[in-house]
Formats: sequence, structure tokens, C-alpha cells
Amino acid sequence: MGKERTIIDAKKPSSTYNLKEIIRYKDLFLVLAWRDLRVRYAQTFLGLFWAVLQPLLTLLIFTLIFGQALNVDTNGMPYPVFALSGMAAWAYFAFVLNQSGTSIIGSQEMVKKIYFPRLVIPLSKAVAGFVDFFVSISFLIILMVFFGVPLTKSFLLFPLYFLMNILTALGVGIWTSALTIRFRDMTHVIPFVVQLGLYASPIAYPTSLIPEKYQLLYYLNPMVGVVEGFRYSLLGILPSNDLGFLSLAIGALLFFTSIMYFRRVERVMADIV
Amino acid sequence: MSEIGVKVQGLGKKYHVGLAKSGDFRENFRRKWKHLLGDYVPAEDFWALRDVSFELEEGKAVGIIGKNGAGKSTLLKILSKITEPTEGRVEIIGRVSSLLEVGTGFHPELTGRENIYLNGTILGMSRNEVRSKFDEIVDFSGIEDFLDTPVKRYSSGMSVRLAFSVAAHLEPEVMIIDEVLAVGDADFQKKCIGKMGEVTSSGRTIIFVSHNMGAVQSLCDSGILLADGKIQEMGSVQDCVNKYFENNFLHSNEVPLLERKDREGNGQVKVKNVEVYVNGKKNNAIKTGAEVTFRFGLHHESGFRFKNLKFHVGFNGGFNERLSWCSTDLMDENYSFEQGVDFVDLTIKKFPMNQGRYSLTLYLKTNGAISDWIKEAFLFDVEAGDFYNMARVVDPRQAKVLFDYQMKLGKAED
Repeated sequence: MGKERTIIDAKKPSSTYNLKEIIRYKDLFLVLAWRDLRVRYAQTFLGLFWAVLQPLLTLLIFTLIFGQALNVDTNGMPYPVFALSGMAAWAYFAFVLNQSGTSIIGSQEMVKKIYFPRLVIPLSKAVAGFVDFFVSISFLIILMVFFGVPLTKSFLLFPLYFLMNILTALGVGIWTSALTIRFRDMTHVIPFVVQLGLYASPIAYPTSLIPEKYQLLYYLNPMVGVVEGFRYSLLGILPSNDLGFLSLAIGALLFFTSIMYFRRVERVMADIV
Repeated sequence: MSEIGVKVQGLGKKYHVGLAKSGDFRENFRRKWKHLLGDYVPAEDFWALRDVSFELEEGKAVGIIGKNGAGKSTLLKILSKITEPTEGRVEIIGRVSSLLEVGTGFHPELTGRENIYLNGTILGMSRNEVRSKFDEIVDFSGIEDFLDTPVKRYSSGMSVRLAFSVAAHLEPEVMIIDEVLAVGDADFQKKCIGKMGEVTSSGRTIIFVSHNMGAVQSLCDSGILLADGKIQEMGSVQDCVNKYFENNFLHSNEVPLLERKDREGNGQVKVKNVEVYVNGKKNNAIKTGAEVTFRFGLHHESGFRFKNLKFHVGFNGGFNERLSWCSTDLMDENYSFEQGVDFVDLTIKKFPMNQGRYSLTLYLKTNGAISDWIKEAFLFDVEAGDFYNMARVVDPRQAKVLFDYQMKLGKAED
């Protein structure tokens, strides 16, 4: 006794995730994340330096355009620090969405030949994004020291907001990866979302710039809550209103529904991918 | 009485034919639109597998055979949880591993060492398990010197060997394997079959799908023959293999060649029939040692011209293994015809194959494109004949193929 037992029943398909199974595949999850990292910078001359260079250049452009030319009001916060705190959250979101959105069709050979909980694929992308995120955050800390911006007690909340950042990114990413299987059109939607979202989220400017009557609409974007959370926990900037909770709730909702939808698609994944 | 390791009841899998579910949003939209207009043609259902039930005792190996499209792969995919069945139930006791292809998830940019970890975990091993088997795996694959080279610089043989080595060191209680033996060079294949034999005798339950009847016979305790998604024969391996050949041979020669659908190519020129001439007379009784001509009748659209004809004839033995190959490529002749051609004659002066059953695979290329390609296009029996003009035949257990040869005595000069 004590042997594992696999039951496959057409009448009683399991519609929920077996958490134990996902845990059993944790090694696969880690190895896939590690593979992505290894492959991303394999045979590149500058290697990990690219992870530093990208946010650096974007930050430079933002600082020149929004900070210097447009002189966006950041309530006394040095503009580079202000922008980078938002960019760190956004860059992570964009990375996970980009990577996980096409992850299932990108691994179709595996999906058709081997069984494992498919959710492992998009989930592993969230881990692969940690490296770039870590680079941006380190960079932010350097800037904070440079400009003399102190950490406040609210810093303790940062892990929570980072978790929300992960869940939001995964929520959108998993939805996209599952939808992409049926509608390849989604692959064209991703760059769109990433580009529009950068301006539809308070990365380069504070939320206070949004006119009152559009605020509710604006906060439907789940990344707004995350970015405000980052600024609150890292820089001590209080959000201008409570709508941020709505935004965060939408992020959580996206995550949970994405897992449910993914499970539904997972059952036919190998047949239609 | 040992326990049941795998129990399959009434398994079935339905696919929709001609209905691409994936991808095209426009196509989906068009169908929905047509549906609204009442112009909807329901998709045709196709049962890739139906009413399949069997039980397998723990520690036994079963071989699943059948033609392409008989449902073997579908069955394996269901058993390995890659796809879900439409009906029926499966119960498997023990940890399952399936191997539907070697090297799944191999990444060309990663080194051999890294790929061993990657592939091992993809196949369901933990990192610790891979670590503890690492040396064995490397040893078996014989690629020690290239462990830290990216796999993209490997020869295809090397990467296949590495991939098989990882797979061969899985230690599940139930193993599902598809055709992975057909990899590598002959030496490595022998090693693989040896390893598989070890696996089978180590008390694991094995479900093995293959076209290689020899491997199935040597590795499996029992067999299941699938045809059109149903179990046609179940029991001893030998019975299943025999039945398989019977089916195939019947199928192949009963349907006129021109009507066969299991062919590839653009069809501009097709082989329409095969006639056999033995010692100059039309006759189907081929004898070893006789002069045999195969006349392949060609069918083409009227007025079809071609510059360059290539025609290959492959001779296959009873296990569908390739024995010989005849080709226009090896002839010092020009095969261009401005007028239509009606047939190609292949003449073998002294037919060398001994008593047995053989099949021909035909491959025809015109104007640089494949126009017709049929596997097992023609089946024939050979009777033992007097190849050596000695009024005797050679026992087919002694020789499958006869040579023209000489034997002489000699003494070294000092």
C-alpha cells in the first residue's frame, strides 16, 4: 500500500488544482525559471548588464521628458527616484506579461509530449523576472541614497505590494497565455497592452494629474494600485485616495479567475495548441 | 496472482474533424456567423479511440501495436495525462512516467550538463534524483568530454544519446514508452534495447508502443493490437504480431494501388499497379534465384511532361525493416521523357531473397518534387528456390539473403 494512484475519469474531470501536485513539480518550476535566465543572456557580450541598461535608459528618457521638459509635479520628490519606483513595478509586470503570455505556445512541443501541471510554465516566468526586478530595486536604493530620500516605516508593507505586483502580472499573463492557445491574435495584443499601460499607469506622473471624473475609470487598471503601493512603501508618498484598494482588488480577481480559466483550457491544451 | 497495475475501462477519445479550434479568430467568428444564419454544418466527429478496455498486472510489459492512425498515440497520450479522454476510466497504481519522445525540452543554448537537469526534471525527476544518477547518465551516454558544451554544437546522434540516457534512468513504477528506441546508431540502439530489457525485468509495469515488431516481441509479455481505434486482438505478443501482418498484407494487396489513400506526394504521377514477371513470364510466384522483373505501371494526367524522373524501390522484410534499395539514382542513365511513360521495369537477374514475406516501398519524384510515395505498396511472398543451381534450397532460418560467392582453399606461400 501507500503507492500513488492515478485516476483518469472522463466523467469526473478534476476542475480544481491539486496543490500537492504543483508542489511535487516545484523543481521543474525552478529549473524552467533558471533555464530562461541562462538562455536569455547566453552568448550576449554584455550579459546581465542588459538588465541594468534597459531601465537606466528608460529612466534617462523619462527624466529628460517628464522631469525636465514637462516639469511634472512630484511633490518635492526627486524625479528619477519617483519615476524609477514606478518603473520597477511596471517593468516587472511587462516582463512577466511578455514572457508568460506566449509561454504555452512557446512550449508546445513539451505540452504535447509530457504531462506536468501546465500552470508551471507561466508561473516559472514570474520567478525569471525577479532578477531584473532585483536590479531595478538595487538601482532605486542607490538613487535614494544619492538624493537623500529616507526609508519610512511603511517599508514593511513593501513585500505585500510586491506580492500584489506578482499576482497582477501573473493574472494578466496567465489569462493571456490561455487565451493565446485559442486566439493567436493575443500575441499581437501584448505589445499593445505593454505600451499603452506604461502611460495609463502612474509611472511617469503622479495620479493627482488625473481629472476627478476619470479617476474611477483610471483605477480600474490594476497596476495603478501596485505602483501607488510601491511609492507608499518605498518613498512614503501617501496615495491621493482610497481607490487604490479597488485597483488592488481587481489585480487579485484577475489572478484567481486566470487560474480558473487556465484550468479549463488546460484540459484540452494538448489537443488544440 | 499479482495485483493489477493498470486498469483501463471503456476508454474513448473523440475529435472534431476538419475543425481547427485553435488560432484563427476569424474562422471562429465566421462559423458563429454562419450558425446564426442557419447555415451551420456540424463538425464531423471522429473517434480516435473507442471502447478500449484492458488490465495489466503489476510488473508486466504490454506492447501496443497497430498501423499509423490506429489510435496508439492517442491511447498513450491519455494514459500519460497529456490529453483527457471523452469517455471511460483509467486507474494506474504507482508513480507514472511517460516517454513519448526523447529530448523533450532540450534547450540548444544550454550545455549537456544543464540539459540533463532540465530534461530530468521535465520528465518528473527531482533535482536530487538527477544529481544522484548524474554520473550513471553521463556514463551511459558516452558524452563525458562534451558535458560543458552547448547542445547546439552536438551532432544529432550525440544529443539523442544524451536524451535517451536521461530517460533510461527514470525510475517510475509504471512506464509509458513510445517508439523511442528508434534512435541513434546501431550500436547505441542495441544498448538501448539492452537497457529496456533490464527495465522490463526489474519488475516495472511497462506500456510500450512501437512499430518495431522485433523490439515488441523481445521486450513484452503480452500484446494489444489496435485497429481504427479499437482493440482487435489482445493476448500473446506473437498472436498480435501475426494478426498485424495479416491485416496489413490483406489491406495492401486487396485495395488497388491507385485507390490507396495512404500515400504522400503531389500525385502528378502515381504508381497504379505492380506486375511481376518471373523468368520473363507474368507470374506471381517469385522464387529465390529466378530472374524477377517488377513492372510498375504509371498513371499521370494526360499531357504531363517531366524532365527528370527519380524512382526508388525499397525492399522491406517481415518486421518492416529495410533490406535493400533500388534507385534510378544508382543507374547511369537519363530518365527524362518528353512523351508519356507507361511503366518502369525493375529487373533483378538472380533474386537473392530467401523464402519469406516482403513488401515494397515506392517513391517517385518528377520535376524535382515528390509525386508519389507509398509505404508497403506491394506485398509478395517468395518461395525458396534453387539459387545455386545445386538442386537444393537453403533453409530460410540459415539465410534471409543469398549471395553469389565463391569459396576456395588456399595455402600461404613461404
